Amino acid sequence: MQTPDDEQFEAYLKRFHPIAPEPVPTLSVGHSSRRSPPLGIWLAAVAAILVTGAVILHIRSSRIVVSNTASDAAVAERHVPSEPLTMRSANAWLATAPSFKAAVDDLAFRSQTSPLPQGKQSAVAVLSKEKIKL
Amino acid sequence: MGRTDRNAADIETLYRQHGAALLLFASAISGDRGRAQDAVHQVFLKAIESGSVSQAINKKAYLFVCVRNAVLNDAKVQGRNMPLDVDSAWFSPPDRDYAGEQNLRRALGELPDHQREVIVLHVWGELTFSEIADLLGVSSNTAASRYRYALAKLRGSMLAKENSCADSRR
Repeated sequence: MQTPDDEQFEAYLKRFHPIAPEPVPTLSVGHSSRRSPPLGIWLAAVAAILVTGAVILHIRSSRIVVSNTASDAAVAERHVPSEPLTMRSANAWLATAPSFKAAVDDLAFRSQTSPLPQGKQSAVAVLSKEKIKL
Repeated sequence: MGRTDRNAADIETLYRQHGAALLLFASAISGDRGRAQDAVHQVFLKAIESGSVSQAINKKAYLFVCVRNAVLNDAKVQGRNMPLDVDSAWFSPPDRDYAGEQNLRRALGELPDHQREVIVLHVWGELTFSEIADLLGVSSNTAASRYRYALAKLRGSMLAKENSCADSRR
């Protein structure tokens, strides 16, 4: 049986509130992890996927261009005229080449690959051999 | 809201409602604030994993049982009884009565373990003597008797300390 003094003392004790414990980390972390991620995270994920896709497409298309250029060059190689380059032959060559770039490339490399007629020398070769006297 | 979400939300509510009293109870048994905190966390982490709290009829009493078991198991592992930690506060005192808080903590520390348990469970845990009896495995009369003795001792100890302080100030 409690006396009035006991009840009074009990009421006095209850004025002292126990200090709350530190939060359990898993309670907050676990709870939030079960929620769907915020919109920003979804948007970032979508943007990352799009950028990755764009980069992959870009790499693939550039490979195709390179391989096309190579095949154009191969085709052009077959049509390289053996006679010396004249305006007429250049026009004809441009008209028949698959692309302007391929034609120009072939014409540029043609001079290196085509042999010089007998008894004639390349000006570059002669100049490179000449000793300049100062 | 899924079942797991509801369980986590329930446990979070229980932690907010009873966490402070559970920590005080664990501190009163173990004597060490840090160990008490670990025991309370351990109980709630297990509750989240197993979902056992949702099956309990009296959730509050069940949590006190779990905390008591956790502390006592830890004490067994440690193999020694810890003296009460006097450095860390257990209560937020009314009107910034920090001397009163220290006096209460000291007086609680002077009580025998079984009386301290009952006082904490009844005053701050707000458990009935019947619930305390179930928790401690004693009869309701024994729980009530322990409480009366504990309350009288606590009051005597706190008054004696307050009187000695008042005398020293004169």
